[in-house]
Amino acid sequence: MIANEETMRHLMIKAQGGDKQCYSSLLVECEKWLRRYYARKINPSAIDDLVQETLISLHRKRSSYDPTKAFLPWLAAIGRYRWIDSLRKIYKHDHDELYEEMVADPQEESVSAKVSLERLLGMIPEKQAEVISMVKIEGLSIAEASAQTGQSESLVKVNIHRGLKKMSVLIESE
Amino acid sequence: MSNLSNSLIDGLVDELEPVKTIKPISGLLVAGGLTLVVMAVVAATMGIRNDLAMGMADEMFFLRSGILLMLGLATAFTAVNLARPGVGNLNRGWVWALATAALFPLTAIIMSAINTPPVEAFRPMEGLKCLTISGLAAFSIGSGLTMWLKQGAPTSPERAGWLVGIASGALGAAAYNIYCPFNDIYYIGLWFTLPVLASAVIGRLTVPKLIRW
Repeated sequence: MIANEETMRHLMIKAQGGDKQCYSSLLVECEKWLRRYYARKINPSAIDDLVQETLISLHRKRSSYDPTKAFLPWLAAIGRYRWIDSLRKIYKHDHDELYEEMVADPQEESVSAKVSLERLLGMIPEKQAEVISMVKIEGLSIAEASAQTGQSESLVKVNIHRGLKKMSVLIESE
Repeated sequence: MSNLSNSLIDGLVDELEPVKTIKPISGLLVAGGLTLVVMAVVAATMGIRNDLAMGMADEMFFLRSGILLMLGLATAFTAVNLARPGVGNLNRGWVWALATAALFPLTAIIMSAINTPPVEAFRPMEGLKCLTISGLAAFSIGSGLTMWLKQGAPTSPERAGWLVGIASGALGAAAYNIYCPFNDIYYIGLWFTLPVLASAVIGRLTVPKLIRW
């Protein structure tokens, strides 16, 4: 069972004052809460790392908690930021890097990235998802994707661009 | 809980020190203080407009100052509040301040459509000076705000970038405004809008990289 909002808020206020015992209890509760929070968002194998990164962020940014406000929305905002940041690192800003990572280490990073990626691909128009999969995941060239899908080369580029943009918006809005 | 999580928690608990919570008012004081400093520098190096010095400032001066300061404060207020994350923390008041400030360029455009203004009305040399000084002032104020924001935990770096840019642009233009002797709507609509726009774009492009955590 996870502690309730009021208990966590009280523990956080004490922790901001330097109470180590309360802080330890708070981090244990946060760890449980974050595991549940991330369970519906990412691949189970990536949860450990993300929970730990979020706990470190909580520690570094604990002065940004306003003791007059509820604690869980603050924790959720930190958790959401770390989650978006982790997805960004994997594939948002540098698509070429994503491709290189997948080729370099197909067993690890790419697998966990793909779980989220495939879910997002299912949420955008089929034609956009199709060419993103071909070019950004399978590594086909624009010309090859164009030949396989029957879309012109410029349409392939436009669909990749639009699809990635939609996926970025979806990540931000989740 | 995994062993790794346990040892991480033990490590974080060991490092725990009391902290002072971040107060957005201190961010506003940084922005306000820097605006006053920049105004003092403008007054000391360039002087202040004659009508203001004589205590008989034109009504346009008050309108322009009020709108720029209101826009700067409203956007700075929202920006500094982004330092404390929370779900549903939306301050939209700055949008209304921005809409009000847009009245200057909009009026200038409408007036230009009705009556084509003479080229002299735009005073390009003085205008570029206005843009440069306001831009330098905005850079000083924006740097201070960004440094302040960095100690917090902004979870929307892009929005923070726009807001810091608009706030510092408006406050920087407000600082230069005490020297600027021109009152016509064409001049204000162009040369007091450009620094805010430019600063907003620069803020959006540079601030997010500096405040990510």
